[in-house]
Amino acid sequence: MTKSDEKFAQQAKELFDASVEELDAATLSTLNQSRHRALAAAESQPSAWLRWVPATGVAAATLVAVMVILPGPSEVEVMPTAVTDMEILLGEDSIEMLEDLEFYSWIDMADEGNDVT
Amino acid sequence: MSVESASFAVSWVSEQSTGTRALQQEQQLNRFLAEVERRALRIAEIGVRDRDDALDLVQDAMIKLCRNYGERPSEEWTPLFYRILQNGVRDWHRRQAVRNRVMVWFGRGTKDDDEYDAVAAAPDPIGRSPDEELANSEAMDSLELAVRELPVRQREAFMLRTFESLDVAGTAVAMGCSEGSVKTHYSRAIHTLRDKLGEHGPAGPGNENDDKV
Repeated sequence: MTKSDEKFAQQAKELFDASVEELDAATLSTLNQSRHRALAAAESQPSAWLRWVPATGVAAATLVAVMVILPGPSEVEVMPTAVTDMEILLGEDSIEMLEDLEFYSWIDMADEGNDVT
Repeated sequence: MSVESASFAVSWVSEQSTGTRALQQEQQLNRFLAEVERRALRIAEIGVRDRDDALDLVQDAMIKLCRNYGERPSEEWTPLFYRILQNGVRDWHRRQAVRNRVMVWFGRGTKDDDEYDAVAAAPDPIGRSPDEELANSEAMDSLELAVRELPVRQREAFMLRTFESLDVAGTAVAMGCSEGSVKTHYSRAIHTLRDKLGEHGPAGPGNENDDKV
């Protein structure tokens, strides 16, 4: 840096400072309001754990949406099976039938054979 | 004194000191922002060429500083504030470039700059003669024009070093680069400006010293 460079910078600084002094009242008022808004924004900043509330809410909503949208285990097939099992268990001759399952299977096959012939 | 009353007293004193500290910090921030805001506005205004946009950028920088860096030591506030502001100015230019492309696409021109400005036409508030006011105003206009035409990094280095009087280390933090880069950008900026504005400097003839330091 030469002396003239420094002098140039000094003159530029003086011109700049003069232009800062010339700022009008409306602009200064706006700056003042901005400053107070900034300080108020810092005061009203939520505490650290409160910052996670929106994220937690979004995560919970996403989870619920996934649970609603994605198909769960089919209930249509489960219910008749359950009802059939109950009928078998509660029926009077169910135990005997379960003991002779092979016999009933043979009867079914024989009936099908008769139907075909 | 019972254990409960002792713990209450400790907690009350702790809350009091926390409250006092917060109040002191707010007062410090207020003083800092009041001290820096006008120069910051003019620096932003030279960067974006629009006072309203510059006011918005300064307010954003103030809010971000208070929210994110209010707890940091006050010596760090100036470079941090200008770093936020410079980032805002750069983002503004990016948005403006996109906006201009869209406006050109729809065939819209830029806004009319020939409207009468009552504030600019008002008398000088610091009581200079019209001739002095005009000379200074013209010199500052020339300087602003030349500064605006500098490459972005040179402009930032020049404004932070010259207008805000930041040292090399502070300017490096504000610009997010090394101190060596700051020196290079600043030196180039000064030489470019001197070439553009002439040997006599921004204020006109009468400065012929060219001695080496």
